[in-house]
Amino acid sequence: MDILSNLMMGLHIAVQPFNVFVAFVGVVLGVIVGVLPGLGGANGCAILIPVTFVMPPVAAVILLSSLYWGALYGGCICSILFNIPGEPWAVATTFDGYPMAQKGGAGRALSAAFFAHGVGALFGTILLTFFAPIIAAFALMFGPPETFGVMLLTFSAFVGLVGKSPLKTVVATAIGFILAAVGIDTISGELRLTFGLVPLMGGFNFIVAVIGLFGLGEIFLTVEEGLKLEGVKVKMKWSDITSVLWDMLKYKKEVLMGAIVGCWMGFKPGGATPASFMAYGFAKAGAKADEVGEYGKGHVAGIFAPEAAAHGAGTSALLPMLTLGIPGSPTAAVILGGLMIWGLQPGPMLFKDKPDFVWGLIGSTWVANLIGLFVVLAFAPLFAAVLRISFSILMPLLIFICAIGAYAVNNRMIDIWYMILFGIIGWAFKKLDYNMAPMLLALVLGDMAEATLRQSLIMSQGSLWIFVQPPIALPLVLAAGVIAFWPAISALKARLTGGGEPAH
Amino acid sequence: MLTKKADIITALILMLFGLIVAYDAIDKGIGWGAEGPRAGFFPFVMALLVIGGTAMVIGQAIKGTSSLKGAKRFVEAGGMKPIMIVIIPAVLMILLTEVIGLYLAAIIYLVGYIKWAGNHSWRTSLLIGILVPLVSYVVFDKFFLIPMPMGLYGAQILRF
Repeated sequence: MDILSNLMMGLHIAVQPFNVFVAFVGVVLGVIVGVLPGLGGANGCAILIPVTFVMPPVAAVILLSSLYWGALYGGCICSILFNIPGEPWAVATTFDGYPMAQKGGAGRALSAAFFAHGVGALFGTILLTFFAPIIAAFALMFGPPETFGVMLLTFSAFVGLVGKSPLKTVVATAIGFILAAVGIDTISGELRLTFGLVPLMGGFNFIVAVIGLFGLGEIFLTVEEGLKLEGVKVKMKWSDITSVLWDMLKYKKEVLMGAIVGCWMGFKPGGATPASFMAYGFAKAGAKADEVGEYGKGHVAGIFAPEAAAHGAGTSALLPMLTLGIPGSPTAAVILGGLMIWGLQPGPMLFKDKPDFVWGLIGSTWVANLIGLFVVLAFAPLFAAVLRISFSILMPLLIFICAIGAYAVNNRMIDIWYMILFGIIGWAFKKLDYNMAPMLLALVLGDMAEATLRQSLIMSQGSLWIFVQPPIALPLVLAAGVIAFWPAISALKARLTGGGEPAH
Repeated sequence: MLTKKADIITALILMLFGLIVAYDAIDKGIGWGAEGPRAGFFPFVMALLVIGGTAMVIGQAIKGTSSLKGAKRFVEAGGMKPIMIVIIPAVLMILLTEVIGLYLAAIIYLVGYIKWAGNHSWRTSLLIGILVPLVSYVVFDKFFLIPMPMGLYGAQILRF
């Protein structure tokens, strides 16, 4: 088997002492940023990118991806112990995790979440290992119109499926593309959107935008809401771990279903949050009659399902990033941006040109998730202690670290000012339902999207028909159209069948 | 300010942004040139999406069909003060960075913030406020060789 020998090569790269060390550091940092409110995987990766300049690309991507896995593991600590979801996909875990922790089962709730993450990670990694090469081989047939079709599909998924206001998602996406276009046009070499201002000529860096929008914006929201961290104390006992393993056998249906839902939703953009809610809903709907009442009061399956889904979705978000060059989550978008900075061209050619890089990453996904499981099981109380540090100490430290990250990208002072500006924009956008994930994606993919669009038009000498050519571009564009207008279509369907209220 | 008003004002600002982008795009050429679609083509299409989208957002806000609870206050009473307590010292730190560099500015910022905004003891404030920038200096400047801004005078003061 070709895939297995490649996987062995990847594992061989991943278990080299230096790479294991890097993965361990990444996981620990990831758990910390996952636990902290206001920081997440996307931010952690953005701040670390300058550090990766001094590393070989394989170690660099292992560091960032391990941080991503750590952040996924860490996110549930905050929601279970403090009832504060650190990430949107951790909301479903608070339903049962926090009540269980309050009733003295904090250690059990955490172990349940960690093992569910482990299963989700296993499924996601299997998917990544065995499907990535197939999809990449298929994607090799893509020309500019097809690549553009995939991007259209990605952004229409955000418009139609994620977020409260489809209209505002369109606006936010367009703003992301505009910000990406500032500076030198990569095709004609012309300066545009600079209005003669020198600081604008360098363009906007997506890392600065991530740190501002997702880091400072979150911090502003947190202080506005007057964060009160009153958590449950936790001690992990062996009996917690063994009892959870028995529970897992008992509720294996919920765990497996969560992991599969997560993987299925995960490779679509923004899929982790709906996946965790769907998994929770399915688990509750499929519960035995005498157990339904237990949900919401601290039922262990109510932790298993959404957490397995969240990690499965997070892992499979790497699948489109590696194979098509289209990230499925904000953190994957930052890692993709890192790839470009290290001089690698993301997309299917990566599998041919840099097999050691691709398979090193896939191999380290196996290794780092395993390390992550042991780290969180062993040190969960220690990580929870980070949250007991007073927020008036944490907050200025976070701002200082964010400033370092923003400056280090390009060694430009103006970037620190942009960071503050993006922070205020992020705060206002979040409050007004503008979706920032597609905005970030547009900022990262801007040059590529524009290039594929313009190359396609050059190929067709200006005719838009090239985007609706069979066999690949046509179904992609059709699917994009259906998904983007899905809210309108489902409203129309409801009206025609008379089966309920129209959508507004 | 009500959320509805904030929604409309934000949309108007974004619309203005879209108009400026469209203006520059037309200036750079949105048609067909020797190199295919010209440099302004893609920004122009995006600007049209922003202008059209924000116009519809404003329409929704006025009709009350937006996803937001328009009658709620945009910032709850007393919500603005804590944000200002975060933003103003941060802006001051960046201004100070322009003069004495990030590390020295951060020491002043951290010690000051933890002491006065956080009401912690002098010992805690000084310990964290000095130790963290010092460690970052060693890690970034010395170990990873990533220079941080030194401002106008920072390099003269920090001589090790």
